[in-house]
Amino acid sequence: MTNLFEEPGLKQITVWARGVYENKEARDVVVAVTEAAALEGKFVQAWENYVDLPDRIYVPVRAYGKISDQEIESKYVYENETPDIVALTEETLVKGVDILAGIKPGAVLVINTKRPAEYLFKFIKKGTENLASIVTVDANSLAKSIITLSGAEGATDASGIGKGMGAALAAAIVKATGIVQFESLLKIVENKNAAKKAFEKAQVVDVKTLVNAG
Amino acid sequence: MSVPVKEVPFAGTVPSPKTENEGMITGNWRTRRPVLDADKCTNCLICWISCPDSSVNQNADVVSFNLKYCKGCGICNEVCPVGAISLAPELDFED
Ligand code: SF4
Ligand code: SF4
Repeated sequence: MTNLFEEPGLKQITVWARGVYENKEARDVVVAVTEAAALEGKFVQAWENYVDLPDRIYVPVRAYGKISDQEIESKYVYENETPDIVALTEETLVKGVDILAGIKPGAVLVINTKRPAEYLFKFIKKGTENLASIVTVDANSLAKSIITLSGAEGATDASGIGKGMGAALAAAIVKATGIVQFESLLKIVENKNAAKKAFEKAQVVDVKTLVNAG
Repeated sequence: MSVPVKEVPFAGTVPSPKTENEGMITGNWRTRRPVLDADKCTNCLICWISCPDSSVNQNADVVSFNLKYCKGCGICNEVCPVGAISLAPELDFED
């Protein structure tokens, strides 16, 4: 039987962050990547999850993006149920949070961290069967996290898209997945320097090598 | 208003007295873990009364932390008069 809800061209991006102090960075990652895809003529969507109650400091929160060649049929589905890309604005999210729930085979995990992928992999207890690679980038060393409520609740973001650490994280996503051209991303993010350095420095590690080593 | 305690709906309210709320486990909010220097602790309990999550346990000699709920806010570290509590990156610990 054909799956009526199947959307073969659709890619889902889920960014996990810490409430309040990284809300903007998580939003910036999905907005920057989807806006870059829109420049390339794709159908896109980006939004934040308010079920996570993001106004509590440190609470794990999510921001989502969708990119597709065709019109997005599932545009009213509020959560990304089967992400292709998962990114973390903060490394501790690997511990005690089910960050890989529902990921598709071949999914990529991108982490803002100074630590090596081998070390972080040990903390991830669930969902690694479908994970293809882990990408690490020390985004905090390239740009600061901008703490602001400007841009929350859909208002205009006065600080600018990709002004902070999110630009570096978005660049690492683009390097590892090629979901958009890096040039398209550079047209969107304000902090082009951080994006360029992250694109250069991000380390991509094949999960198979980690499983064998472990 | 006289509502039997059992009928009060769950919405940030927890039947009292209660020491745990399984519906709101906040340990995974923590990016920094409080670590006690037991030699310095005088058991004055200022951290115990200051912790917003009731995550400091009273013991006979020195305090300890309930890491299932401690969200790593660092208030205990701020208020301790003898500097007995430090904060360490959560990922330095494997447990
Ligand atoms: S860090 Fe915050 S939540 Fe944890 S024990 Fe200290 S005061 Fe309580
Ligand atoms: S405030 Fe400091 S000295 Fe007092 S009980 Fe807590 S850790 Fe011990």
